[in-house]
Amino acid sequence: MEGIRTAEALVSAKPISFLGGVDPADGKIIEKKHDLCGTCIKGKVLVFPHGHGSTVGSYVMYSLAKKGLGPAAIINQTADPVVVVGAIIANIPMIDQIDIAKFRTGDTVEVDGSKGLARILKHKDG
Amino acid sequence: MHLTREEERIYDGERGWANQTCIRILVRLGELFGAEKLIPIDSAHVSGVSYKTLGGAPIEFLRTLADAGAMVKVRTTLNPQSLDSHYLREKLQENLQKPQLDILRQFERMGLTQSLTCTPYYLHRTARDSHHAWAESSAVVYANSILGAWTNREGGPSALAAAIIGKTPNYGIHRAENRRPNVTVRVETKLRNETELGALGIFLGKTLGDKIPAIKGLPNTSKDDVKQLCAAIATTGMTNMFQLGSSTRTRENQKIGVDSDQIKQTIEELSIASTTKPDLVFLGCPHSSLSEMKRIAQLVEGKKVRAGTEFWVCTSCHIRRTAAAYAKKIEKTGGHVLDGVCTVVSWTEKLGIKTIMTNSAKTAYYAPTLNKAEALLAPLEDCLKAAFQG
Repeated sequence: MEGIRTAEALVSAKPISFLGGVDPADGKIIEKKHDLCGTCIKGKVLVFPHGHGSTVGSYVMYSLAKKGLGPAAIINQTADPVVVVGAIIANIPMIDQIDIAKFRTGDTVEVDGSKGLARILKHKDG
Repeated sequence: MHLTREEERIYDGERGWANQTCIRILVRLGELFGAEKLIPIDSAHVSGVSYKTLGGAPIEFLRTLADAGAMVKVRTTLNPQSLDSHYLREKLQENLQKPQLDILRQFERMGLTQSLTCTPYYLHRTARDSHHAWAESSAVVYANSILGAWTNREGGPSALAAAIIGKTPNYGIHRAENRRPNVTVRVETKLRNETELGALGIFLGKTLGDKIPAIKGLPNTSKDDVKQLCAAIATTGMTNMFQLGSSTRTRENQKIGVDSDQIKQTIEELSIASTTKPDLVFLGCPHSSLSEMKRIAQLVEGKKVRAGTEFWVCTSCHIRRTAAAYAKKIEKTGGHVLDGVCTVVSWTEKLGIKTIMTNSAKTAYYAPTLNKAEALLAPLEDCLKAAFQG
């Protein structure tokens, strides 16, 4: 939950279910019709509205992080139990109550999990 | 959230990584849902046991937690697994069995009892107004509504964290003010059996979201039958409790009527198989009680299961032991009493089962997605007619 991480943003307008929605073998989004389908979350600041689906999703987040396939940090519009618990056990800085509309995929973003803050250090085209 | 001095020590890691991780889960969830403190619990019930639904993801975390010395502080029961210790084990490949045993082993190391049931309330009595942290939604609704025990609907990880700390954050229906009904449901038709009660649950879950209904018009419903309502209402909705009877006062004046057409339509929507001949007739979702085992045994005694049809009754190993004579009668017919397993989270499709007939609305709801099977939903007597000759 805590710690500061800086990485490239990967932004989705859709909720993510870690159980069934992300391939634990390679960290790619596999949920069909998802706007990030086929994209790998490894090492990104993953920005999405909130999680959904089974609480087993928390364990999937742990498993991804152990294999080095997890996101560097997570920014949510609203927190939900699956992602909150997953971020704790996987030791991924995660913040919520953030207006995610300001982030674009490719922005360089710094996440401060202890303070609950996120800043865009560099815009994708800037 | 206010933490005691000891809780702060755990939070800061003075009691090791496992305890620190678990209390962080509880505190963060508490903050999220507006709890102001942690409260002691009498028991926990952990879901997320079946290798079929979990896959391999949790094994590593559970092992790391057990390696770090995590140990439950309260009586903690486990949900059903993906196979039973006799019948399905013989039929399934080794590679499906080993990871399942590994999951159970890790839980065992942390002191969880190998109860393997969705009805932990048949194993241990819960005191009225006592606090618990249970996952398994059907048991949560049963605890709050029928037993008067208090529990939120936990997920697998949060129930495990609560078990290891022995506490849970006091939000949701751990607070008396959140346990009062806020909608009145009037059942305007006489529900004739457990399947119609399940259909009522499916309908209400879809209609009510997370509201707490005061349900009127269900006189003399047995606990066995009302269990179907508990399981079904949690399947389609976020409702965690209801009140039965007419003496209840609701917080709001919203009223909903349910008539026979809505019950009939709900059953028809769940009973979608293209054949009337099931590959499997399944009773015991949620797990059968002692009285249900007795009733089934009496009804099937001396009969023979149809050729080409499987007949399963699921229950806990605890009830199976208590009901050994009934189980024997059921198995003499060619049927199987499977303990510790849940059909919905078992490998039915690997056994060639394409149509499942059941009296459980919850199973009928999940069978198409979780079992890749078509469902036939009908009350006990009709299920037995399909399963047995003559």
